[in-house]
Amino acid sequence: MNRSALLSLYRSLTRHRLYAALNIGGLAVGIAVFLVLGLYVRFETSYEKWLPDHDKLYVVEEYWNQPGSPANGYSTGTMGGLIDELREDFPGIVGTRMQVMDANVIRPGSATSEAFGYADPDFLDVVPLPMARGDGRRALRDPSAVLVDETTAGKYYSGVDPIGRTITLAVMGKAANYRIAGVFRDLPKATVQRFSIIARMPSPHPDAMWRHWGSERVMTWLRFDTPADAARLAGQLRGFVDRRGAKDLGDVTKQLSLPVTPVTDLHLQTPGRKLTMTTLGLVGLLTLLIAIVNYVNLATARAGLRAREVAMRKVLGADRGALVRQFLGEAVLTVALAALIGLILAELGLPLVNSAGGLSLVMPYGLVVPALIGLTLIVALIAGLYPAVLLSRFPAAAVLASARSPGGGRAGTRVREALVVFQFALAIAFTVGTTVLVAQTQHVRSTDLGFRRDGLVIVGSTADSALDKAQVASFLQEVRRLPGVRMVTTSDSTPGYSTGNSANVEVPGRSDSGPSLQWITVGPDFFPTFGFRLLAGRLPDAAHRLDDMRNAPKDSDPVNILVNRRAAGLLGFATPMAAVGRTVGNGAPRTIIGVVDDARFFSPRDPVNGTVYYYASGQAQFPRTTLRVEGDPRRMVEQLRAIWRRVAPQVPFSAKTATQDLQDYYKADERAARLFGIGAGLAVLIGCVGLWGLASFNTARRVKEVGIRKTLGASSADIVKLLVGQFLRPVLIANLLAWPLAFVAMRAWLAGFDDRIALSPLYFVGASLLALAIAVLTVLGQSLRASRAAPAWALRHD
Amino acid sequence: MIRLQNIQRRYVSDEVETTALHDIDLHVAEGEFLAIMGPSGCGKSTLLNTLGTVDRPTGGRYLFGDRDLAALDEKALAKFRGQTLGFVFQSFNLIDELTIEENVALGLAYRADAGNRRARVAAAMDKVGIAHRAHHFPHQLSGGQQQRAAIARAIVGDPKLILADEPTGNLDTANGEQVMNILSGLNAEGATIVMVTHSPSHADMAKRRIDMLDGRIVASAMRDI
Ligand SMILES: Nc1ncnc2c1ncn2[C@@H]1O[C@H](COP(=O)(O)OP(=O)(O)OP(=O)(O)O)[C@@H](O)[C@H]1O
Ligand SMILES: [Mg+2]
Repeated sequence: MNRSALLSLYRSLTRHRLYAALNIGGLAVGIAVFLVLGLYVRFETSYEKWLPDHDKLYVVEEYWNQPGSPANGYSTGTMGGLIDELREDFPGIVGTRMQVMDANVIRPGSATSEAFGYADPDFLDVVPLPMARGDGRRALRDPSAVLVDETTAGKYYSGVDPIGRTITLAVMGKAANYRIAGVFRDLPKATVQRFSIIARMPSPHPDAMWRHWGSERVMTWLRFDTPADAARLAGQLRGFVDRRGAKDLGDVTKQLSLPVTPVTDLHLQTPGRKLTMTTLGLVGLLTLLIAIVNYVNLATARAGLRAREVAMRKVLGADRGALVRQFLGEAVLTVALAALIGLILAELGLPLVNSAGGLSLVMPYGLVVPALIGLTLIVALIAGLYPAVLLSRFPAAAVLASARSPGGGRAGTRVREALVVFQFALAIAFTVGTTVLVAQTQHVRSTDLGFRRDGLVIVGSTADSALDKAQVASFLQEVRRLPGVRMVTTSDSTPGYSTGNSANVEVPGRSDSGPSLQWITVGPDFFPTFGFRLLAGRLPDAAHRLDDMRNAPKDSDPVNILVNRRAAGLLGFATPMAAVGRTVGNGAPRTIIGVVDDARFFSPRDPVNGTVYYYASGQAQFPRTTLRVEGDPRRMVEQLRAIWRRVAPQVPFSAKTATQDLQDYYKADERAARLFGIGAGLAVLIGCVGLWGLASFNTARRVKEVGIRKTLGASSADIVKLLVGQFLRPVLIANLLAWPLAFVAMRAWLAGFDDRIALSPLYFVGASLLALAIAVLTVLGQSLRASRAAPAWALRHD
Repeated sequence: MIRLQNIQRRYVSDEVETTALHDIDLHVAEGEFLAIMGPSGCGKSTLLNTLGTVDRPTGGRYLFGDRDLAALDEKALAKFRGQTLGFVFQSFNLIDELTIEENVALGLAYRADAGNRRARVAAAMDKVGIAHRAHHFPHQLSGGQQQRAAIARAIVGDPKLILADEPTGNLDTANGEQVMNILSGLNAEGATIVMVTHSPSHADMAKRRIDMLDGRIVASAMRDI
């Protein structure tokens, strides 16, 4: 490009300032959306990839094929002794295990909970965590040593060398002193199983259920040199499970399988996560596509307006090569400008997106810059080549003789119309998607959970195994006296927290092992405190001896239970009423005294488990405490903390409202909805920019036609109708494409929820009306201006 | 039929002020064929546009029959044009994306009363001799054919007044003659025509001729019949 060409590019950008700003800005926003969502996808797919040798590492999962049961699906936990049994049957196999749980770091007068991992001595040989200080492998062979991550080291030994220092840890209720023998690097955010302290696993393990098939105590890692090796072992595990599992599981064994999953696949296995990632990735890609399409479309349309200039240059002796070079050069420069602005926008927008999406994405320039250069060249090639070749082929004489600029003829009009259809179809589908996402996330926040979620404060720390019963009792006693506390109860499960206990309950007269039901042990006042609805029968009380589990010390002793509506159905009772008074469980007779409505303690994605409630007059085994309070729950939490400090200073305190506990289930979807909303909103915006550009281009081309029509008697209203109308047809066709697309996509997404909204036609009609309104408003301004121009002026205009 | 009194048209742009028409008084009777002549820039097109209500005078009165057109709003004027006027331009001004037939039909598009459109469009095309080109696009026609199509569009609605701005300006002699013959024929059938032209011989085919200079009418002459 020579100086005059640069000058003419600069002039054309500054002369048509609004047009240039919108055209380049639209592409820049598209690039920014693509970059940010691309980073998000990259993050979601980067889990565990930071780990050296991650491509050789696998995790043995448990897969339970038990539809309708709480255990159904994947779990990353296996029984403790699995690796030992694998080694016996498959000599030479390389693997290790880690048991992750909460442990308390005890300091004088306070205690803090940390994620703690018991690991095999060879853990770091198999899973080579990057170390910051010390020899991790040697440390794990020493039962009195621990490894901590950098953050934990800084937290307890800030400013001094942590190596060799002592740390007091209470693991599973037993406190002991450990020596810090090494510091490992903080696990990156993209990690499924997080832990900040590692110690050597005791051997033999004290847990009585350690080798019990069906338990889920540890994460079992395997290491294979090639995927083929992994597949070979995976193929032999069916027989292994059948051989080994039957002693504990009986015929349930056939419902269990042990998939060998690459460690990098674990994260996206969580239901809904892959769909969310794919969807957001698609939004990014499509937004970029819309932006490119718009850019190319506008650029080529504008180039048509320059046909006269090209013809003149040819008459003056420019050859085709020079013209092609000029157009391509211009395109590369403008697209590069857009890419640069896009990069800046993405960088500026990242903090916003990070907070909206709960992420901590950073821009990897080493990757992004080359990618943007590539993108620039591709887009510039499409945007520049078409007009370059097309225009330089126009016979100069024809262009100069014609009264009007060529707009690509009918074919050009068709292509532009198709592009408008494409854009609006996406815009409408995106709008439907956003409203459905928002409606569903609103719905799960406010839906009837089967209990009253407001005004509940849950103290999880009363379940800490480091507490003794007297401490729990005196804490509860003091809590009951607090003003504002209406009711207090204990249970081993609370919203967002499950023991994971479940058992098959046989039904008299049925030959199978009966449905698998979750069981929860509850203390006095549990049902009224939570506000459960009793559907039939009665609640447990002190007057009936058999209501109380403590009067049935052996599993085979008869005891009374309550079940929820779902369990009553699974047990084969037609109505709640029909279940009352019936006895289930063969060797362990359980008489149903009442049926409560289903209460959703867990994710809106999962069905409510069929649940058996056992009542115990004293404390449950691991009692979590729930309070129904009046007034500000946060102030209540502070009062509770003050009591806790007096009663049990050596155990960390944790209390949350039920709403906070449930929040974890909603967070991911709300973040996804927000990210989707941002991406979709910007895509629609870019679509509008594109439509605006097209409308202005079309209107510019039709100025003379408007003049002619007005001299023929067309009123301003006729002209507006004509100019707006040309965009209505594509927008209407877009609906036909968008509706089925959005319907299928949103139905698939909603199918991931057990508690979901209906896919009302209102979402579709609303989105279409919105798109229509946007289209009309975008085009209307220019049409009005064109329609008002005096026809005499328009006819002189060329 | 038409009475212009003290018509003025002034263009004000930034610093420059151009007066394209000074106190024009003009009477056009029904059935007249009036030619306007004068040097370039003297205001001929402006006068014709004013007659056609596509340009509004900045002063004076414009009576059409007994209607004062100054009293009409944009919408009413548009309707008036559609019902009453036909335009022919030097550069044809056909719409490229429409066929000849569709272009001619445009002359009826903005009229409420236009029944029997197909027949009227066909008749108009027949009259100017381009019926055989009905399904062609403008760029596929010669200049003379395009101008005849433009005339068909102007007359398809049976306008009371035909305004023609240098209708032969872009045509060679033969095609120019043909267009003039069509216009004369239309006048003979009763149409009132006001035509701007640079060609004295074409002006001679009109019944009356006025000469303009610097926005004023300087002479008016009847053709001796
Ligand atoms: N939109 C406008 N703004 C300013 N001045 C104008 C405008 N339109 C016309 N004029 C001026 O008004 C005067 C009359 O113009 P007009 O087009 O009527 O001339 P004309 O007699 O038709 O010329 P020609 O024979 O070249 O067509 C000219 O001086 C012209 O420069
Ligand atoms: Mg003129």
